[in-house]
Amino acid sequence: MKTTDKKPITLNKDTAKQVGRALTGEYSFVLSFLVLTVIGACINPNFFTWGNISNLFVQGCMIGLIAMGMTMVIGAGMIDISVGAQVALIGGFGIKILNATNNVWIMLLFCVAAGLGIGLINGLLVTKGGMPAMVATLATMSAARAIINYYGAGGPFTVSKENYDSFRQLAIGGIQIGSFKIPYLMLIFIAAVILFDIIMKRTALGKHIFAVGSNEKSARLSGINVDRVKTAAYMITGAMCGVAALIYASRMTAVAAASAANGWEMDAIAAVAIGGTSMNGGRGKIIGTFLGVLMFRIISNVLTVADISSYLNGAISAAIIVLAVLMQNFQNRRH
Amino acid sequence: MRLQMKDIVMEFGPVRAVDHVDLTVEPGQIVGLLGENGAGKSTLMNVLAGVYAPVSGRILIDDKEVVMRDVRAANSQGIRFIHQELNLCKDLRVFENMFLGEELKTKLHLLDRNTMIARCREVFQRMKVDIDPTAVVETLSAAEKQLVEIGKALLFHSELIIMDEPSTALNTEEIENLFEIMRQLRSQGVSFIYISHKMPELFEICDVYYILVDGKLVASGNFADVNEDYVTELMIGHNLQSDEFNTHTCAATEEVLLQVKNVSGKLLKDISFELHRGEILAVTGLQGSGRDELADVLFGVEPHTGEILVEGAKMPNHSGSGTVGRYMKKGIGMVPRMRPERGIHNDLSVLDNLSMGYLNTRAKKLLISPKAENERFDRQQQAMSIKVGSRKNPITSLSGGNQQKVILGKWLETAPDVLLLDNPTQGIDVGTKFDIYHLILELAKQGKAILVFSAEFPEIWKVADSCMVLYQGRCNARLSRDELTEKNVMYYSTGANLEGLKS
Repeated sequence: MKTTDKKPITLNKDTAKQVGRALTGEYSFVLSFLVLTVIGACINPNFFTWGNISNLFVQGCMIGLIAMGMTMVIGAGMIDISVGAQVALIGGFGIKILNATNNVWIMLLFCVAAGLGIGLINGLLVTKGGMPAMVATLATMSAARAIINYYGAGGPFTVSKENYDSFRQLAIGGIQIGSFKIPYLMLIFIAAVILFDIIMKRTALGKHIFAVGSNEKSARLSGINVDRVKTAAYMITGAMCGVAALIYASRMTAVAAASAANGWEMDAIAAVAIGGTSMNGGRGKIIGTFLGVLMFRIISNVLTVADISSYLNGAISAAIIVLAVLMQNFQNRRH
Repeated sequence: MRLQMKDIVMEFGPVRAVDHVDLTVEPGQIVGLLGENGAGKSTLMNVLAGVYAPVSGRILIDDKEVVMRDVRAANSQGIRFIHQELNLCKDLRVFENMFLGEELKTKLHLLDRNTMIARCREVFQRMKVDIDPTAVVETLSAAEKQLVEIGKALLFHSELIIMDEPSTALNTEEIENLFEIMRQLRSQGVSFIYISHKMPELFEICDVYYILVDGKLVASGNFADVNEDYVTELMIGHNLQSDEFNTHTCAATEEVLLQVKNVSGKLLKDISFELHRGEILAVTGLQGSGRDELADVLFGVEPHTGEILVEGAKMPNHSGSGTVGRYMKKGIGMVPRMRPERGIHNDLSVLDNLSMGYLNTRAKKLLISPKAENERFDRQQQAMSIKVGSRKNPITSLSGGNQQKVILGKWLETAPDVLLLDNPTQGIDVGTKFDIYHLILELAKQGKAILVFSAEFPEIWKVADSCMVLYQGRCNARLSRDELTEKNVMYYSTGANLEGLKS
């Protein structure tokens, strides 16, 4: 699918033309990313410092993990709006489990398993239940949020004192290399991007996800188990929500049932959209979603420096989704 | 109304579907438009009805040039098109469908339900059919849906009605009533263009004929001056180029690969046959005969009762989401009909489209090897001379013929023993069609058992060892190579042997 094959790059007219076409077409998200970076650098004088750059990754990590899964779900022609509520539900109970066991690995196991479980429910509702993805995940979203609100009515879920310091290391710690500190969250984010890129490009599951999103009937007639592919996409997204919930708990050391991860579904979908994945499924790139998440963080970075209220975040996600999808439609019409 | 189409040319990408065609319809005349499937009849009519804009050519009505910008423009000229495929909204009621887009309104701009229902009743009475205008379309039979389509054209004042194979789902009596109405309207000056494959019908109802072969007009004149044989010869005239297929050698061996025992389904009733290694069996039948369903049943897409055995192993009867995969693992492959909807993945590259069947049945490793993927592509590209710009381009960048070759290649890479080819030459040019016929014969020689589902006699004749003719879900005849004539196929697929219909 790449328009630029692995050839030694020579600066002739054709290469320039090819790069130009890629940047305005299939790889337009790279162009958006470059433009935003320039804007970010102009407004924030500290933009290109290591602290700021690594911070973009740290802040983008949680949405980033979820958006990886969301790329699969949207790539398969569906949607998952339950991700924010999943993070709140899993995070709340995850903290309870951490406090009870004092073992972060058991918490991780629980978080991933719970995510897989919720993903399985989403998948079964959509495939065996024949429900539209929007309706099925709306139901899970509402239920998950209600359950955590019910159990969290007495106040937020808070990490206990004895776990506080060690557990927080995940979010604030990192590997020191010379004068650079590489935060753990940055590593986790990058590792996830590489893993998902391999899954989407080099495994049958990745190819099948886009096959289902592109033409479900053809996929079925190619012998692809469409139900299984769709359920897998939801379960992987759920597992990513589980990991994101654990990171959330570590960063905040508490999960407030009603407000935790509120509106994250919008952010994740926006990152996928801005990264060039077709909202109708069938086409998309993990690298696009990755840059999409970073773009999101850059915008928010710029807004903070420019002193714009964080209450407007939702409006900004909305504007990004609308712009990204309008751009896609415009490109499709041109081709 | 006097209609003249002059020098019409219509192209789809590299395929010229209509090639400099002239056609004239006088007032009160019934024109029979003849030609094989893919000869350009429907395309020409779609140009007339404003569905396609022609590449060049003019349309004159009463000697004044008109431009058919869209269907509405054609309607306002009094031209109505009854399409071959049924264009009804299945969730709406009959009268809502018939007045769709042209609803009658009361003074308050609300829908005038009662008048619309009454008008529908009136039309159905004229057609002598008993259809409730308030019934939901989904509950109607195929024949009734077709009658609703016809009724839609009679509902409004029309000067020219185009009928694209209106009689495929109708029985003899319904056809007689239709002809009665047509004659009556003809006497009032209404003209018709009637497309059909059924010779007796054409000779009964039509005044003049136009014959298209590969998009070109090869003959026209009065039906009164010709006979069936002459017209048939003109229609299938280009078969003379295909002498090479005259000497058909059957490559079938003793070994039975596929056994079908008393298989029934939604439409199918009690189908049984055996398919040997190296055998090519054609399955034909009209629309709604169960031909499509048989293909789907044999691939696990539709459920069935009875037994399907592949090399002695019984295949599952249900049709869950994993069933097709299990049929494939047992060595069945299917090139599906309706390639745009059921065959290709628009968004994916040529390479990915070719790999799609291999990945879920034969791939053993967790990671896909790009090298092996390219090797598979090279092999198929060479074997079938597929013309591709870049293999990473989307499959939609290819012509229909090359797309079909890619899909064939995809299935050959799954190494099936039994190959189901459902309308394998759909929407492709003549040259590629011949490539595919040769390929089918070659594959049989290599020891594959092949089922070809087709409605085109010339195609069946070129490849088949024998032919099964379906009629209303049953196997109505099994024709050997010697009995394989267009007349026989038509005779049995219209059920003429059962209903005593004389041809």
